[in-house]
Amino acid sequence: MSTPDEETLSARVGASAFAVAAQVGGVAILTARLARRLFPPRVDGPELLRNLYKMGVRSLPIVGVTALFVGAIMVVQAGVLIRRFGAEGLLGWGAGFATVREVGPILIALMFSGRVGANNTAELATMTVTEQVDALSTLAIDPLSYLILPRVISMVVMLFILTIFGDVLALVGAAYTGQALLGVNVATFWNGLLEAIRVWDLATGLIKSALFGLIIALSSSHYGLTVTGGAPGVGRAVNASVVASATGVFISDYFSTYVLQ
Amino acid sequence: MIEVHGLSKSFAEPVLRDVSLTVPRGCLFGLVGPGAAGKSVLLKCLVGLVTPDRGAVTVAGETVTGLDELSLQRVRRRFGMLFQNNALFDYLTVGENIAFPLRRMGVTDEAELAERVADRLRAVSLVGFEARMPSGLSGGQKKRVGVARATVTRAEIVLYDEPAAGLDPVTSQKIFDLLRREQRETNATVIMVSSDIDRLLTVTDRVGLMHRGELLFDGTTDEARSSLHPVVKQFIHGEVEGPL
Ligand SMILES: Nc1ncnc2c1ncn2[C@@H]1O[C@H](COP(=O)(O)OP(=O)(O)OP(=O)(O)O)[C@@H](O)[C@H]1O
Ligand SMILES: [Mg+2]
Repeated sequence: MSTPDEETLSARVGASAFAVAAQVGGVAILTARLARRLFPPRVDGPELLRNLYKMGVRSLPIVGVTALFVGAIMVVQAGVLIRRFGAEGLLGWGAGFATVREVGPILIALMFSGRVGANNTAELATMTVTEQVDALSTLAIDPLSYLILPRVISMVVMLFILTIFGDVLALVGAAYTGQALLGVNVATFWNGLLEAIRVWDLATGLIKSALFGLIIALSSSHYGLTVTGGAPGVGRAVNASVVASATGVFISDYFSTYVLQ
Repeated sequence: MIEVHGLSKSFAEPVLRDVSLTVPRGCLFGLVGPGAAGKSVLLKCLVGLVTPDRGAVTVAGETVTGLDELSLQRVRRRFGMLFQNNALFDYLTVGENIAFPLRRMGVTDEAELAERVADRLRAVSLVGFEARMPSGLSGGQKKRVGVARATVTRAEIVLYDEPAAGLDPVTSQKIFDLLRREQRETNATVIMVSSDIDRLLTVTDRVGLMHRGELLFDGTTDEARSSLHPVVKQFIHGEVEGPL
C-alpha cells in the first residue's frame, strides 16, 4: 500500500514526465515541418536578412563582454597551477583549450539564449496571442516559411559566427589577463596555445555552437507558437523557453562532447 | 458561395452546434448574437484557422475542411479578413500593414502601393497615417486600419469581425456605408459580425442569429426585423424582457 503522499508524488512525477515528453514531441514535430520547407527551400528572403542583422547586432555587446571575462576567468583559474609549477608555457594551452572547446561555446550560447532566444519567444508568443500569426495565415502566408524558418536559420548562423568572434575575444582576454596577473608574456601565451591546440579543437567548439543554436532556435520558436492564455501566457512561455533551451544546451553538450572526441 | 454543413466544434465545451448556413455570391450577410455565441469561431472555421470536429465548409464549390496547408493557402487568397482584435502587425507601420496583402499578391510597384494605401486611409478617414506604428493608435484608429487592410485587395469574399466596435456613431455608420458601397462595387460575398445591430441592419441583405453555438435564425433583413421567434425578437429589438 502506498500512502496518499506517495501517490500524489508519483502522480506528479508522471504528470511532469508526460509534460516534458509532450514538449519534446512538439519540438520534434516543428523540426519535421521546418525540414519539409527546406527541400526545396521556402524561406522568406527579406525576413531572413532582417533577422540575421537584428540577432547579430543585438548580441555583439553581450557576447563580447561575456567572452572577454570567460578568457580572464580561465586564466585566473589556471593561474594557481601555473604559479605552483612554474609552467608559464602551458598557460596558453590550459586556458585556451577549455575555452574554445567547451566554456566559450556554452557560455556564449547561454547568453544568446537569454538575449535572442527569450526575445524570439516573446515576439512569437505576442504575435500568436494577438492573432497576428492567424492574420498571416489568412493572407495565404505560411507562418513557418515566413516567420519561423528565417529565425531558425538566423539563430544557427549567428550563434556560430558569434562563437568565432567570442573565441577570439576570449583568447585575447586570456592573453592579457595572463600578462597582467601572472606576468606571462602575451607571446608566450600564444606560442603555448598554437603549439598545443589543433584545428579540430576549434571545430569541435563551433560544431557545438551550431547545435546549440539549433536547439535554442527550435525550443524558443516552439514555446512562442504554442502559447496559450493571453499576456500572462507570454511571460510563462518565455520562462519555459529559457529553461528548456538551457537544459537542451547542457544535455546536448554532454553527448556531443562524447561524440566529437 | 459559402456553404456550411452541420458544423460542430468543442473546446472545453461545445462552441458550435450543428451550424448550417448558405451565403450566396454577392450577399452581405450580417451575423449577430450575444457574447460567446461562437460567431468569431465560425468565421475562423470558414478560413480554416479553426478545424471543426464535425461538418464541412465549402467555398466556391471547394471543400475547405481537411485541406492541406498548401491548398488552404490557395483558398485563402480569395478572402479578406478583419479580426475582432484587428491583429495588426505590430512590427510594421500602418502603411506597411495595409500594403502587406498587396505585396503578398505580387504588387511591387512602390508608387502604386503608396497610392492604394493612401486611397484606403482616405476611405477610413486616417489620411497621413502611413508612417505611424500600430502601438501608437487609439482603439478606434486600429480598427479602421484593420478595415483598410481587410479591404485593400478587393477580395471576392470578405469576413469582418466587428468592423465598427469602439467607433463613435457617426464613424460607425460611415464604415458600414463604406463597406456596403464597396461590396456592391465588387459584388463581393461578405459576412459581417457586429453588435451594433441597428446600424448593421441598414446594410445587410440577410441576417443570421447565433446563440450558444446554434444558428437560431437565418433570413432576410426584413424577416429578421419582423421575426416572432422570442430570442430573435428580443435580440434584434434590444428588449430587456425575454428569454435571453
Ligand atoms: N481557441 C479557443 N480555445 C478555447 N475556447 C475558445 C477558443 N476560441 C473561442 N473559445 C470559446 O468559444 C466560445 C465562443 O467564442 P467566440 O469568440 O466565437 O464568441 P463570439 O460570438 O465571437 O463572442 P463576442 O461577441 O464576445 O466576440 C467562447 O466561450 C470562447 O471562450
Ligand atoms: Mg467574437
